[in-house]
Amino acid sequence: MKAIFKKTMLAASCAAALVGTNTTVQAADWLALQGTEPHGTAGRAKVWGFIQAQYQHDTSDPGTGPNAGLYIPPKLIGPDLESRSSFNINRARIGVRGTGMPIDPNVNYFFLVEFGNNAITNPGSGFAKLTDASITLNHLKDFVRLRAGQFKIPMAEEIYQGIALFDYVNFTAGTNQLLLERVPNKVYTGNTPPQPLNSDTSLNGYTESVAAARGIGLQLFNTLNVAPDLEVGYSLMVDNGNGIGTSDNNQKKDFHAYFNVTKVFKGKGPRRQDWKTFAWYTTGKRVIDGTNDATHNPVEYDRKRYGIGTKYVKLPFRVSAEWMKGEGVIFQGPDKPSFGLLGPGVGNPNHAFNGLNSDAEATSFYIEGGYLIPKTKWEIDLRYAKFNRMDNQAPISFGPFTDVTPEFEFTELTLGVQYHINKKTRLTVNLSKNEAEAVTFAAGAGPNSNLDGVDNRYAVQLTHIF
Amino acid sequence: MKKPLLKLAAMLLVAAFSLGAFVAQAADQSFASTKVVLQISDPNPFKQTLVLNVASNLVKAYGQDDVDVEIVAFGPGLRLLMDGNANKNRIAGLSQQGVRFSACENTVRNFSKKLGDAPKLDGHAKLVKAGVVQIVDLVKKGYILVKP
Repeated sequence: MKAIFKKTMLAASCAAALVGTNTTVQAADWLALQGTEPHGTAGRAKVWGFIQAQYQHDTSDPGTGPNAGLYIPPKLIGPDLESRSSFNINRARIGVRGTGMPIDPNVNYFFLVEFGNNAITNPGSGFAKLTDASITLNHLKDFVRLRAGQFKIPMAEEIYQGIALFDYVNFTAGTNQLLLERVPNKVYTGNTPPQPLNSDTSLNGYTESVAAARGIGLQLFNTLNVAPDLEVGYSLMVDNGNGIGTSDNNQKKDFHAYFNVTKVFKGKGPRRQDWKTFAWYTTGKRVIDGTNDATHNPVEYDRKRYGIGTKYVKLPFRVSAEWMKGEGVIFQGPDKPSFGLLGPGVGNPNHAFNGLNSDAEATSFYIEGGYLIPKTKWEIDLRYAKFNRMDNQAPISFGPFTDVTPEFEFTELTLGVQYHINKKTRLTVNLSKNEAEAVTFAAGAGPNSNLDGVDNRYAVQLTHIF
Repeated sequence: MKKPLLKLAAMLLVAAFSLGAFVAQAADQSFASTKVVLQISDPNPFKQTLVLNVASNLVKAYGQDDVDVEIVAFGPGLRLLMDGNANKNRIAGLSQQGVRFSACENTVRNFSKKLGDAPKLDGHAKLVKAGVVQIVDLVKKGYILVKP
């Protein structure tokens, strides 16, 4: 079989890399909650953080045919990708926020470090990684605020929200693959083939931390009350576009725009009940050596992401939906650090099976909802997600395959139950029915010899915010 | 003939001053049966919420006309009365219910030195010479001092 690969996903593993802030069934003004402090009331240093301890079990079957007995990343528990059953401290973050000079509320800061085992800390076996370090100037707070440093990029709600409040254990495949950006390796790195369980070779070929939906740069933003219960939020941001904890590797900067309109129903803070509708756009360039030879061939590729979404929270209900699109630098899997699929396109950045070029596209959609059972501590969640990767490529024929494309489709249906032990502690149980297929290949043929076995995943996670 | 007129004018003048003083005193004097002065001088931001909660609870418990509440802010606690404080709507609401807010002038002066400019105060705050002196004076007048 051609080596057509393993698919991608990374699922649980890298899904570990996000953001953070405070507690559920919530929508909120994340621009303000993550970038500012309450005017005139913030302390010099508020210590806070959260821990997520989890267990995941994946029931996927190994590959068939030429890949018989072998596993690909979506069938394994990340970030180590060596087992289908594992306990893990997915996230363990501690931070400090406030205002260094409390009598001047016009300046505040935000500092956060990740100690958990996830795609932020795992590459390079890092002990801990700085995820956020920013300063916000609020001198013109009625119009605009300025934030500088390393912090989250406003984009899709699923990844932009305070991750400690995320209602599921794992991200949808679309958010995981399109937005949890894997920073390309500096030199061409070949794909890692499927492996048996407990292999001593990592299936994650990336050498850098994921960008974790963060950037180092400058942001102009604010949330304005335009009517008694109506808010408009905006953000314009420029950053290196080269991940976290590192300076830029080219002269080009990423640009990000975000806009939301929110009808506020009740409450405040991360648990506010409201109806938010938003749109976002991000564009930049990535330097990648995608050519399989002994020479360093860095080339700049365009990377665009954009999307829209809405989130409605009015207890006991929550409903949200998002659609997003990616163009260029399409992630192909943690085992493909130069973005090239195995098969006819390997080592050739101009080939249709390569995710680097701007005509490589992907589309993601999800809809989810929650119901907090009145007068109880129980919450039920349900999510349906679909992700089509490389869904715009013209068919080609090669080897035994005729009129095939590199399009992979990931679908997921997750049933979740949450038990809110207290306002800061909750137990999340997820049962995910996962499917993946190369849509133009027959069952068991080509990439489907690996993808057909993708199946259910069970996850239990205990979150405590302090 | 001129002397009686002068005497009359002088008497009217004294009467006018006396009446004015009486009116001013009456306005300053509380007829509430319960009088409480709340002190906030703590840098802890939770204390801001707490002192406002206490004032609100007093008004609820005794009724707006039967309780006299004054919040005196000095030292780090003055942040409560700085312009744009996140609690400004609560301050406005309590003010409408008769709660008074006093800001320490000494603290304002100290803040000004550190900030380079005088901090703007909430529109409902009244400057007093010294926060602690204001508290002592109110206690002498029968106010109960509570420091949440």
